[in-house]
Amino acid sequence: MALPSVGNPGGFAGDRTLFVGAKVPQEIKSMLKLLKSTDKSTFRELLKASVSSFEGAIIDEDFIPNLSNECGQSSDALSIVYSGILTLLRAAYRLPQTSLKQELFKADLSELKIPPEYATDFASAVYGPKRAAINDALEKGRVRFPKLDNFRWRVDVAISTSALSRSLEPTIMAEMTLSDGKVHSFEIPVSKFHELRYNVASLMKEMEDLEKKNILKIQD
Amino acid sequence: MALILTETASIKKAVGLINEIDSSKFPRLLQRIIQKLHLRDELSFTEDEEEKLEDALGMQRNDLELVLETTAFILEQAAYHLTKPANLSQQLQSIHLAEEKVSLFTKAWTSLGKDVVEKLRKRTLSPNQLTDVNWRLNLQMSQQNQTKLKMPNAMLELGITTDHGDKDRIRMEFTHEELFAFYNQLETVQGQLDSLS
Repeated sequence: MALPSVGNPGGFAGDRTLFVGAKVPQEIKSMLKLLKSTDKSTFRELLKASVSSFEGAIIDEDFIPNLSNECGQSSDALSIVYSGILTLLRAAYRLPQTSLKQELFKADLSELKIPPEYATDFASAVYGPKRAAINDALEKGRVRFPKLDNFRWRVDVAISTSALSRSLEPTIMAEMTLSDGKVHSFEIPVSKFHELRYNVASLMKEMEDLEKKNILKIQD
Repeated sequence: MALILTETASIKKAVGLINEIDSSKFPRLLQRIIQKLHLRDELSFTEDEEEKLEDALGMQRNDLELVLETTAFILEQAAYHLTKPANLSQQLQSIHLAEEKVSLFTKAWTSLGKDVVEKLRKRTLSPNQLTDVNWRLNLQMSQQNQTKLKMPNAMLELGITTDHGDKDRIRMEFTHEELFAFYNQLETVQGQLDSLS
């Protein structure tokens, strides 16, 4: 099957668009100028903070001023480096690891003229053990409809009613709490319960079939 | 079996009137009443129809109403006590309903009785009821900070009919895991239902 090839792993870098995009973002360019004057341990602090912010942590506003006092670099310079790191990581995290392989990432970093000692740190931020947590955090942050937070139910059997001395008809009382805080309670007649269960089962099956399809296994 | 029809004054009068009705016209009347028996907020006949019935049966309004109410009452009692046709026939004879009408009642009850009882069983006092289920399966390809995703998600919409007849729609989204958890809960409910039968 001939698919138009976007990348050419192993070929020279000019064949492929850099992971940061065809045009190198200004934030990264500005960072590059300051990288050499930022010592390694300060850079690591900034990188660590960036990674935690992707994991969902809130970075204290005093972080940069404090760091500036420690290392002697101006807050402005540190902010520029920090923003460059965030931009670079954001671009890297956009792509699945299977698509942006580590060797391509490193090739791109050297194309961007990032010194190898910094490149290694970037690579460990992108391919290290924290990546799974970052992907989870990105996934959690997606826009979505409410989810079902809590499903409570009970099964009742009507013994008798005003119309029937012996009814013995089961019904299900359901209460659904959604993540938007709304609580819905309603009755499910048995026939409708079968319909619901059947539909959910079909949906599950469709989902499983979809996940088995080869198209999902193509790693682009 | 229960269903004791007592020959009260009003029943006695109604029976007399029913016995007078043309036996070719009575089955349709009976059928209409049976079919509407499970509807709480609806009379068997509209105002217009009652007027036409007065003419067709040559009856006064009061008498007609008594006939309609008594017929419905007999059928409601039959349903309440889950009466067998043979038993109904016996009881109708005991209140001196004419043989011909007894057999019309019994015939109607034989053919439609089960259906009426089933409909009465389904009658509910709950204000909100699940009435329809719709779903859609999506495959998420990307989002603002991630590309080349292949993440399925499922939308489920539950239609809930409220007391006033309008419809509420509950919409929710599931990932595969969430859907699986929900499915397992439904299976547990199913297990409970199975244990009842």
